[in-house]
Amino acid sequence: MEDWQYKPAGDLGLKPEESLRSLRREAGLAATITQGAWRLAVRAYLRGYHRLRVEGTEHLPARPSFVMVANHTSHLDAITLAAALPWTLRRYAFPIAAGDVFFETPAVALFSAMMLNALPMWRKSCGPHAMQQLRERLISEPTIYVLFPEGTRSRDGNLGKFKPGLGMIVAGSEVPVVPCYLHGAHAACPANRKLPLPLPLHLRIGAPLQFSAMKNERAGWQEIAAQLEAAVTALRNTAASSGSAQS
Amino acid sequence: MFGLHPVAFWIAAGIAATLAITPLIFLLLGKAGKLTPALSTDLWTRYKSWLVLAPLMVGPLLAGRLPAILGVGVLSLACYREFARATGMFRYRAISAVVALGILLLTFAAADQWYGFFVALSSLTISLLVIIALFADQPKGYIQRVALGIFAFSLFGVCLGHFGYFANDKAGQAFLVAILLCVELNDVFAYCTGKLFGRRKLAPQTSPNKTIGGAIGAAILTTALFASLVHAIVRGSVLDQPVHLIVLGLLLSLTGQWGDLVMSSIKRDLGVKDLGVTIPGHGGLLDRFDSLIFVGPAMFHYVNYFLGLGLDQPVRGITGH
Repeated sequence: MEDWQYKPAGDLGLKPEESLRSLRREAGLAATITQGAWRLAVRAYLRGYHRLRVEGTEHLPARPSFVMVANHTSHLDAITLAAALPWTLRRYAFPIAAGDVFFETPAVALFSAMMLNALPMWRKSCGPHAMQQLRERLISEPTIYVLFPEGTRSRDGNLGKFKPGLGMIVAGSEVPVVPCYLHGAHAACPANRKLPLPLPLHLRIGAPLQFSAMKNERAGWQEIAAQLEAAVTALRNTAASSGSAQS
Repeated sequence: MFGLHPVAFWIAAGIAATLAITPLIFLLLGKAGKLTPALSTDLWTRYKSWLVLAPLMVGPLLAGRLPAILGVGVLSLACYREFARATGMFRYRAISAVVALGILLLTFAAADQWYGFFVALSSLTISLLVIIALFADQPKGYIQRVALGIFAFSLFGVCLGHFGYFANDKAGQAFLVAILLCVELNDVFAYCTGKLFGRRKLAPQTSPNKTIGGAIGAAILTTALFASLVHAIVRGSVLDQPVHLIVLGLLLSLTGQWGDLVMSSIKRDLGVKDLGVTIPGHGGLLDRFDSLIFVGPAMFHYVNYFLGLGLDQPVRGITGH
């Protein structure tokens, strides 16, 4: 007979406010329920208010772990990408959100953790340690990260340069990265707007890329960022040429 | 007095007075140079926690039947949450949801004063736990997942739930406040008499700081205290005889100490020091409430057997008419 295996929660022993900000945070029963309710509401909102269309869902891997990356122009981006996942995968999705916006005050951190299931990325002081934690979690547990390699919302709606930090999370691993392009979010809710306008959103999901052959070092990270930037740019161009978007 | 059972009132007043003079004692001890800075910080942290905990624990009991029952329900859920996160069983969401549902229904049965349902929930919830775990179609680890669910439900749902049902009785309020006071003091007595007389370890593998001297000291002091409180509560009834009073006191002290040891065993097995950080200076909720778990059923059924808690007369305030 084998011994029983206990695996305590990753954030066990942390104070509540630390736990909300922990990269090892795991949802319990209460968070599972609030997140489920939140996702239902978000899907209804995106369908009803923004007439969200999603193309290319067949490119999404059937099982976690994987990473979704996209252009970033709006607070709508992360919730839209997470909502595009089939219901069996949705609870594995963790948007990687700016710590200084989504985890600064306790009330906002509570919302980000209990509703969005977001994990914080501290832009000013994000060292290799945080990246390493994100990488370990992605490889060892079923996890889906939703992240925006530009590092901030584009103020003019154009695609900015992808930062290499993302490479630290996936270089040399089997984990696929799914490029996405979201059209319309900049018009509906740009960085300077509080409430979104009822404009359409169109999400295009591309074929996943893998970086198992890539070295986990600076040159590899930059190469990964460049490849993903090219993949997202290509999705933008197909989206534009198919005439579906009026940004 | 103020709509409270007189014994409950005097205990609550005693607790309030103790909390009010404790800072003075600390200050005097500090002035006399009896406290090291580390000990002083530790004492103050614990004191501040008690300042919040004591009203949270006694308040719902004094507020009446329903607040007491709801308070016990919330405590059960919070204890289960801590246990689930420490063992990792929270990842099995169906099992976790059934345990939580069972606790909610126990709370409802107590609020409804429907003892038949309260009893039925043990077997029904356990059956549901065993069955719900089938649907994952993962036989690997099945026994562990189900067993952890049943274990948690039995301890934090059924055993703790008895405190909720106890609140339905007329003398329940006084009993509950007395039990709470004596269980907490039982720990204190064991600690103090252990420091004074404890030489031989009680269970060195499980809990290295506990001594046989402490266990016996606590049993004597707690029995004396609880027996006198119960005497005041049940004055003139069948239970008001020395043998009953002493047995009740001993039962409370022993089940309290065993509850403590049970949680120590669980923590040793899991390899964690504290089950949480909910209460500064104490650790998790379970580190504070572990001693209560087996006291509830022991007191409830002893009192019911000899005195009766009216369980044979269905009340069903909500589901009846």
